[in-house]
Amino acid sequence: MLQRKFQIFSLLVALVFTASCSHNQQQSHTSEVDLDLDVKKFTLDNGLRLLVYENNRLPIVSYYTFFDVGGRYEENGTTGATHFLEHMMFKGAKKYGPREFDTYIERNGGSTNAYTTFDNTVYYESFPKASLDKIIDMESDRLQHLLLEEKSFEKERQVVLEERKMRYENSDKGKLYLAMMKDVFKGTPYGGSVIGDKKDVENLNRDQMMDFFKRFYTPDNAIIVISGDVDASDVYSKIKSAFGSIKKSENLAQYKREKDAPKHYQFKKKFENEIRLHGQSENPIFMIAYKGEPVGSDKSYQLDILSSILGQSESSYLNQLWTKGKHPKLGATYVANYTMKNNGVFYIYGELLHKVSLSSFKNSYEKMTRNICDEAISERTLQKTKNQFLVQYYGSLETNAEVARFLGNNEFFAGSYDFYKKEIDIINAITVSQVMKVCKEVFNDEKIFVSIWNKHPNK
Amino acid sequence: MKKIVNSLLCLAAITSANAMDTDVEKFNWNGIEVVWLKDNRYPTYNINIYFADGALSDQSHKGETRFMFSLIDAGTRRFSQKDIAENLDFYGVSYGGDVNHEYSTFKISGLVKDIDPTMRKICHLFADATFPKVELDNLVKKSKNEARNLSSNHSALASNAFREISLDGSPYSYPVDGKLKDWDRLNSKALKDKLNYFNKDVLKRIYLSGPKDVLSIKRIINEDCGWTGEAKKVREITYKPVQSSGIEVTLVTVPNANQAQIRMGRFLNKGEFEKRASLALSGHYLGGGFTSRLMRELRTNRGLVYSVAAYSGGQKDYGRSVISTFTKNENVMELLNVVETTLKDVKTTMDNESFDFVQNSLAGSDPFRFEKTSSYLNELMFMDHLGRPYSDVYNLQSQILKTSKEEVANTTEQIFNWNEQSIVIVGDKSLAKDLKKKFKNVKVVSFKNFL
Repeated sequence: MLQRKFQIFSLLVALVFTASCSHNQQQSHTSEVDLDLDVKKFTLDNGLRLLVYENNRLPIVSYYTFFDVGGRYEENGTTGATHFLEHMMFKGAKKYGPREFDTYIERNGGSTNAYTTFDNTVYYESFPKASLDKIIDMESDRLQHLLLEEKSFEKERQVVLEERKMRYENSDKGKLYLAMMKDVFKGTPYGGSVIGDKKDVENLNRDQMMDFFKRFYTPDNAIIVISGDVDASDVYSKIKSAFGSIKKSENLAQYKREKDAPKHYQFKKKFENEIRLHGQSENPIFMIAYKGEPVGSDKSYQLDILSSILGQSESSYLNQLWTKGKHPKLGATYVANYTMKNNGVFYIYGELLHKVSLSSFKNSYEKMTRNICDEAISERTLQKTKNQFLVQYYGSLETNAEVARFLGNNEFFAGSYDFYKKEIDIINAITVSQVMKVCKEVFNDEKIFVSIWNKHPNK
Repeated sequence: MKKIVNSLLCLAAITSANAMDTDVEKFNWNGIEVVWLKDNRYPTYNINIYFADGALSDQSHKGETRFMFSLIDAGTRRFSQKDIAENLDFYGVSYGGDVNHEYSTFKISGLVKDIDPTMRKICHLFADATFPKVELDNLVKKSKNEARNLSSNHSALASNAFREISLDGSPYSYPVDGKLKDWDRLNSKALKDKLNYFNKDVLKRIYLSGPKDVLSIKRIINEDCGWTGEAKKVREITYKPVQSSGIEVTLVTVPNANQAQIRMGRFLNKGEFEKRASLALSGHYLGGGFTSRLMRELRTNRGLVYSVAAYSGGQKDYGRSVISTFTKNENVMELLNVVETTLKDVKTTMDNESFDFVQNSLAGSDPFRFEKTSSYLNELMFMDHLGRPYSDVYNLQSQILKTSKEEVANTTEQIFNWNEQSIVIVGDKSLAKDLKKKFKNVKVVSFKNFL
């Protein structure tokens, strides 16, 4: 659930290096990345979007469905409904009853699962190509005729509560993250957990969930992405036959426009806060959160670069400063720029070493932030980050599932499956002065310091 | 009709797997065996360097091999840790060592255009790493920190404790990383000596994937790394078979746990882990996917757990079985009762229909093993480690289809025999009372014993 929704992939720069060991002698020349995924896009009359990528290397297929519904559309008292519904989508529909969905897929060598975020709910299956027709039929069935049986509803409630314990209640890192999200986004639809408050999950009823399902699980609110050993026109015919007659939603677009209005997502409270949580960790773990940006804004790309320069590799600035050398302060650290559809958070994570005092660390942190931008950002560190993005970009397109997820994310967040081509241009055009500017804005702005430790008072 | 469909499905996959075979070529680079998996999809490469020894080579300094690989980039006579990290990060390279008891690997991946300078740098590290004291001290501090904070990561703690307890009496029980008490004894000279041993004595193989350009590193491997076929040392080990003393339960207590992590399984002696297809079917039947026996019983029917997984398999000289799950404290006894019944009833509940299901499921999933190049490369490397032909990789699907229900039922009953399970529960001390009512042999120990 903590995944970064929009993968930033870089870039136009391919480098040719000399054979020297010394980095001072590394040289670079630019050339274009040669990547152009041959994707067929179709849109049905009812608004359902279909993307197909043909890949006949192996006789297998991955099938993703992105629904534009996530935790952000939940009301007070029904938090966790989206995620709970995601579980119930595997519990049977009219034609394919309880247990038939996963039974068919696994019997034939496939696998299936789903995930829910604040922004979307994504279902996925990978399977041998012979299963495609049946899976299209099953997906169409559960989109139209979900059962939500009372008996399985109650059992699944217990499963969700167990998942909640595993992710948050019994995990210091989970507690820390949840506290940060609640505080940063307090009063906005992002101010909680996707899995929901315990009380809400315990009280959610079947009728509320059915209303939720009917409102959001409509063809015009979905994107299907199929990657693998298929023929695109054949897939289109089958999807049209299975999904074409399903009615589109009424008034959903208007409802979403209202719910997604920027005013709901503006930061509601003043930052500059400290939260101390009692946990089990023998050494303090912390997150320092700053105001972030929604996915796709120019500044969000600059923050992506900044987070990488500061804390996403062995040689990154904070990793070298805090975890290496003669007097390390932390056992581990990273910096993340978590961008969502309507807002984001930029944060630093760290684990203090034994006998390093939290208060002295905080003092040294304040001093460090005065010079961090000037010391960390240079032409070289910017170029290094762009090179790293390029490798990540290829590395995330190896399997059918990875390609489907990549295309679906582009279509969902940017409205175009091939937005990655523009994104490459955007990243490549980012300059040192731009990164320097956002860096100074971040570290001159207010922040929230959240820590968890077994010596913090248990309130 | 179902059989025909399944046969067609499997035939398609087998044909594909055989086609994959043609993408593999072998070379001999001055005595070093090299396996190249052709992959022209992207301008990227993977390199796996296999070393035929692992943590079993650590004698008085436990954790030494793992620390040696972890600190190989911590400095050389020419370059500081910072210089090295900066240089390799600039290429966007991912790299790192991985150590288990029997063997070790060092993996590198990046863009093909950078493979030569990257490999030169890696060879420089292997030839000249100095393991500076300051960086060693740092890693020791960091490792101690991670160990101490395990009290807040019950899942990792349960896996560590289970390994140590269930493999007790074998050479594989002691953690590869060593423990808190071991790390202060490590020193730079010992790590340098260990590196020399791996460079000069231990047999190596190189596994490559990517376009043809990746073969350009031949000269670098032989000259810069200086590796040749003269290094032939392969870890061999003999040990007395581990005898089960009946069902054993260990409650590893952690403060304030409102959920219990549960692991159970046992050590597999020689003769018990070699039949790969049968073991894979057994694990898949019990805990592979949403439709497995335990998932249905524990999650779907009762809502007791979020997930459960089962596995049984072998390395070269030993094997292990494990069932892994977690639940809230109040459900622990019910969960154990359900697992007990499920394991004891395997022979009666594994009917033809359920066996066909698991067989088709596992056979049908076979092509996915070849989808990710790095996974495919790992499979080839593992076959070489076992001394098995690559046909075992490609024939696993047909072996699965040939395995009988009776064989899998027998294997499952033997490997997951309830009366021979080591059960490890990481959770609250209040669980002890109920556990002692059900089991005769219950030990209660603090989590600190496993740090």
